[in-house]
Amino acid sequence: MKLRKLTMWMVLLLLLVFALVPNLIAAEPITIRVLNYLDASSPGAAREITEIWQRFEEENPDILVIREDQFGEPFHHKTEAYAAAGKLPEVLYVWPGGRSATLHQKKLLKDISRLLGDERNAFIDAALEPQAGGYLAMIPIGLTASHAMYVNTALLEELGLEMPKTYEDLKAMVAPLRAAGKDCIIIGAQDDWVMQSVLYSMIFGRLVGDEKLYEFIEGKAKFTDKVFVDSLRFYEQLFIDGVINRNAMQTPYGEAPALFAAGRAPFMIDGDWRAGAFLTDESTGKALIPPEKQKKIKMTVFPAIPGEINHGTSSIVPAVGYAMSAHVPDGSPEEEAAWRLISWLNSAEVQKIRLETGAAFPTRKGVTSDKLEPLAQERAEFYGRISGTHVLDDKLPPEICIPLNIGLQEIGLGLATPLEVARNVQAAYDEWAKSNK
Amino acid sequence: MITRRTKAEERRAYLLLVLPAVLLYFAVVAFPMIFSLWISVSDYSGGQIFGGSTPVRFAGFSNYVRMWNDRYFWISLKNNVYIVLISVFGQIPLGFILAYALHRNMFRAKGFFQTVIYLPCVISSVIVGILWQTIFSPYGPVTEIMQFFRPGWQNTMLSNPRTAMIPVLLVMLWYYTGTYFIIFLANLQKIDKEVIEAAKIDGATEWQTLRHVILPALSGVIVTSAILAISGSLKSFDLIFAMTGGNPARRTSVLALYMYDTAFRGAPNYPRANAVSTFMMAFSFLLIIITKLVEKRFGGKEE
Repeated sequence: MKLRKLTMWMVLLLLLVFALVPNLIAAEPITIRVLNYLDASSPGAAREITEIWQRFEEENPDILVIREDQFGEPFHHKTEAYAAAGKLPEVLYVWPGGRSATLHQKKLLKDISRLLGDERNAFIDAALEPQAGGYLAMIPIGLTASHAMYVNTALLEELGLEMPKTYEDLKAMVAPLRAAGKDCIIIGAQDDWVMQSVLYSMIFGRLVGDEKLYEFIEGKAKFTDKVFVDSLRFYEQLFIDGVINRNAMQTPYGEAPALFAAGRAPFMIDGDWRAGAFLTDESTGKALIPPEKQKKIKMTVFPAIPGEINHGTSSIVPAVGYAMSAHVPDGSPEEEAAWRLISWLNSAEVQKIRLETGAAFPTRKGVTSDKLEPLAQERAEFYGRISGTHVLDDKLPPEICIPLNIGLQEIGLGLATPLEVARNVQAAYDEWAKSNK
Repeated sequence: MITRRTKAEERRAYLLLVLPAVLLYFAVVAFPMIFSLWISVSDYSGGQIFGGSTPVRFAGFSNYVRMWNDRYFWISLKNNVYIVLISVFGQIPLGFILAYALHRNMFRAKGFFQTVIYLPCVISSVIVGILWQTIFSPYGPVTEIMQFFRPGWQNTMLSNPRTAMIPVLLVMLWYYTGTYFIIFLANLQKIDKEVIEAAKIDGATEWQTLRHVILPALSGVIVTSAILAISGSLKSFDLIFAMTGGNPARRTSVLALYMYDTAFRGAPNYPRANAVSTFMMAFSFLLIIITKLVEKRFGGKEE
């Protein structure tokens, strides 16, 4: 009798265990919030979503990713709003400095050195340089040249023009191009960061140089010094000579690739990332510039500028990457989940996809692809041909960079002189220096 | 007979009934306003406000002084004044004229015009902004049409500081007139037709009917519309943000955009942004008081 009772209790206990174990195993997934930067209209967007994000979710059912995609200025504003509210998502897309300076300087991002461990050996050295906070907050998903000059060689041939080697050559093209109803260089600079990032940083690098930039930041030189004012004067000259139409300042950033593809000008100046806009969108099979015509598009840098001290340089910055918010506790399941996601986003497989879509040039050693369209191939070769100086908004604090950005637009529109802008930038520097003492 | 006790009970009942609304008002209107005012005189730089690592201190009125000395604040304020003017003296009269013309059957196809005039109001402001950005782009349809008539014509409308706001104001006129049109049309339909007929029998002309019968009857609606237009104009943001982002060189910025840029762009400055919002609130009150005074002085009586 006792044995029967005991057996009955044992069976009940086993049933209870069997009923509970699956529930324990299928515990609630760990939720990771992600603030992601994505241009949903880019040709590579469909692959980015299906092959990178959806695949991670399928392969990691124990992690629930709540992703928020933003693009352009709204992305930066949202980041600042999250930072101000102290509610940063666990994983977020960040710049190495510049627009993400607040995150780095206030140490709102986690130092990932511990998590990275020996995996760091898989990346190129430039990718492992500490960011604006003085520590490694993220691995850049690519390297970026913020200045690239896209050349439509077919249009140049059609008009009987040759690739310019010097600024004088470029200036000489303005009249024949105007006669043919074309602009010389297209830049979509309605947003004020554009001129500084894609053009003026390169001019500054050529005429002033990185060494002097550090002197400006340390207060050893003034922005009203001749060398800085002269670099602004050269920038002004581009508009006076008609090399850049003043209308660039009312051309939306997103409109420039379509105008260039339509042959409105033989040159377009933008970041290297813009190459991706011309590639084939796998979801539609369409490309702004079809692969057979891409062979006639070359990527180079602005021709030689009179008086330049650095020759043939672009402006280069370790690109964006994914960082983890500092509020994620060390050793927690959230940290493990967030790091798993970041590791995937930095994996060779993902970097290969981004190389093919033109979204980024790999920072991992040995990542390559045999599926590159001609312009993506051209972009890969472009890096081998150039050297670089700093992108200004990566080094200058935003308090100084914003008056410079607006000042560059004002010079372009003829609303301010180079000296006036230089004075405004110096005033902004003085105020910044005073508040940071 | 009402006893003292009954009165006290009544008062308690009133207080109880009013309390939820007062609490709600305080939570969603009064508290944010007071809080914003406090932030505007502090040195808050983001993060935790209470018990954070950096204590928030009183900074006096320095943020107001800096706002006052910033030329982009004045550009934004000037643009806001333009928008107030186009709203009060553009959208409201145009909305009224269109509503009056339709109400008095001056056009055929009343339903069609009603739909066409109101249609922009149902489109998202972001879509409208992007649509008009493309239209006014230097390579857009406006340029192409003009170049068809005048080859070589350059579209410098948005890049010229003197004309940069014109496209924005035109779009605002097109976009918001429909709202006032509907308000006036609905209120015109409320006016007793017999009163108008009586005026006609007495020999009143169309203008006299409008001047002495319809406009006085609508004076309250006009004032309400003006208040809506003023407050709406001062918080203009979405359409301009989508259309120009306040550029080029902040020449199409407005106060709300200036505040947003100060708070969230580049180097966030929350106290100064709150100083801007406090100023916007005060400016809005001032304009509404002026509108009420004008109505008191010149408005008709709705009886």
